[in-house]
Amino acid sequence: MKLAEILSSSGIAVGQTVASKKRALEEIARLLAFGAPSVSQQDILASLASREKLGSTGLGHGVAIPHGRIAGISACVGAFIRLKHAIEYEAHDGRAVDLIFGLIVPQDATGEHLKHLAAIAEKFSEDDFCAALRTTADANAVHALLLD
Amino acid sequence: MELSNQLIFVAGSLFLLSILASAFTPRLGVPLLLVFLLIGMLAGEDGPGQIHFGDYHLANLAGTAALAVILFDGGMRTPLKNFRVGLRPALSLATVGVLVSTAITGAFAAWILKLSWVEGLLIGAIVGSTDAAAVFSLLHTNAMHLNQRVTAALEIESGTNDPMAVFLTLGLLQYLLHPHTFTAFDGVFLFVQQMGLGLAFGLGGGRLLEMLLNRLELSESLYPLLALSGGMLIFGGTALLGGSGFLAAYMAGLVMGNRPLRAFASVRRFHDGMAWLAQIGMFLILGLLATPSRLVPLAIPGLLISLVLIVVARPLAVVLSLTPFRFQWREQAYIAWVGLRGSVPMVLATFPLIAGLPHAQTFFDVAFFIVLVSLLVQGWTVAAAARLLDLQMPQTGTRVRRFDLDLPGGPGHEIVSYRIGSSSALVGVKTKALPLKDISRIVSVARHGKLLHYRDWGALQVGDYISLLAAQAELPLLDEVFSMRKSAGNSQENRYFGEFIIDSNARVDALVAAYDLPIPVDAHGFTIEQFVGTYLRRPVVGDRLRLGQMELIVRKMDGVKITGLGLRLPRSES
Repeated sequence: MKLAEILSSSGIAVGQTVASKKRALEEIARLLAFGAPSVSQQDILASLASREKLGSTGLGHGVAIPHGRIAGISACVGAFIRLKHAIEYEAHDGRAVDLIFGLIVPQDATGEHLKHLAAIAEKFSEDDFCAALRTTADANAVHALLLD
Repeated sequence: MELSNQLIFVAGSLFLLSILASAFTPRLGVPLLLVFLLIGMLAGEDGPGQIHFGDYHLANLAGTAALAVILFDGGMRTPLKNFRVGLRPALSLATVGVLVSTAITGAFAAWILKLSWVEGLLIGAIVGSTDAAAVFSLLHTNAMHLNQRVTAALEIESGTNDPMAVFLTLGLLQYLLHPHTFTAFDGVFLFVQQMGLGLAFGLGGGRLLEMLLNRLELSESLYPLLALSGGMLIFGGTALLGGSGFLAAYMAGLVMGNRPLRAFASVRRFHDGMAWLAQIGMFLILGLLATPSRLVPLAIPGLLISLVLIVVARPLAVVLSLTPFRFQWREQAYIAWVGLRGSVPMVLATFPLIAGLPHAQTFFDVAFFIVLVSLLVQGWTVAAAARLLDLQMPQTGTRVRRFDLDLPGGPGHEIVSYRIGSSSALVGVKTKALPLKDISRIVSVARHGKLLHYRDWGALQVGDYISLLAAQAELPLLDEVFSMRKSAGNSQENRYFGEFIIDSNARVDALVAAYDLPIPVDAHGFTIEQFVGTYLRRPVVGDRLRLGQMELIVRKMDGVKITGLGLRLPRSES
């Protein structure tokens, strides 16, 4: 799967500063809303936040993949933020998070959509990929890395 | 005088060779015990050593004493918490399992060697138990990370099945010596007497020994010796009174090892050394005792009996014994494969020789052959089998190197020292930020061979030695802190334990809401911990529960409670 299938350049933000996990989720919800005009930013945020109550979506190594199911969309939508300063995200390795990939999937999430999530988790488990995302200086290069 | 000098020279060189071998063989993957045995055989009558040794009485004495030491030490190393998941399966393996494997191997041996069926069964009983030394050393190497259900079952089994094999051997021997007067009733009585006395004297003796160690004021270096002589006394006393000394020694070690004990660090270190000495000595002597040239005519029947034991008797015994305990087939297959035979069969095989039974030499040679095959085939492949069966858990901690010092006057407290390795997650962490309990205190930090003033401790660096004052009960916690590994990559650990963590107190409803998982409606009010608990009885870390395309994996346990779960996503297409 290519990230470009679910991610558009309007869903990518580089160098954001947020104070907390809550603010980060709000920011991700805002970006996701660009790609899913049929649902409100509040509904997206509510879906992401209720998933976080199950346990942090931090993958470890400074990466988090907040995600949720939502009614009213027909395809998966993704968004990505690279934070300027890592924030506390309750990840299992205790490390602060600076790379966040948000994902919303249609309410009738079939196995296909779970596989999208798995593919994203797999991609973001690659140390080289994450290192490249972190060290790339300008936003255009980050776009290129993600959308290639 | 000349003879004494020669004997000391020979003993010294053989031990030295064996110890040197232990430094090299792990890299080759050769089972160490096999190497000791081979060194003994090379020194023996068929090898270049040309030492003629055929004293079965001496071999029996050395083997029995060595086994007692190994079991006593093994008991001390078995944490009581392993009994929660391991005791009942292990006891089933040690009783039913040994019986089944004795019966099948024995019947086949009787048929192929054209012996009477009782003589065949005697061979079955002699090779009926797994080797404590081999299994203990296997499970304590850092290369193996298996789940607690498998390690606990194997460990407790190997500690408790020797008494069963000894009992069966003695019973059958009695019958062969007195076929007209030895009845089934005598057999049952012998069993009750052996196990009952062994258990009682082991538990009682262990408690007494513990009290003695904690109350008696002695010179520091005498405590380990007191413990060892106490263990020997418990073994010998129990055996003299007709109980199972092996069981008593194991139980006594278990009692002592799981209670606060004065000088525990030095007692353990000493017994560690003694157990090595016992293993090396025993296998050297057994190697010397064997006559490889006599094994040649036995090669075909010997191989066939070994084959039946390894691929028929042991697997069947394991499946039958573990049926009530819901082990996964992979776990059963692994336990079946790790039925390593070692020193016990050879020690037991000297009993018929000493009793002067006809065919006794054949029994010994066959037993020796089976042990050789088992060490070669199974000993060599235990790690590969774990990989093949997908039972290896990812290593989550780095190796801790801990040095202990007892604190005189404060029983139950120690000063421990850890080295910060290059893969430790604590590199760069300030000493003040270490997650330590109240009572544990940092005593010193040494860097580049110098003790630092506490103001200069700062952040920990690679190669630092950090010493702490700690309660013995907190040592496992400290070990956990200091084994935290700066993880090299997400992939392996995440693949095994799942990509995301799940709060065990969260509600099943929330899980269904997030992923639309197929969960029975009546479970929706549960917390996830309760829900998982209804499906996994006696869970251990690494257990998994399949839900549609996802899996919930037990990540962390606190006693019997699941405190952390992981969620594993289905494999992506790519």
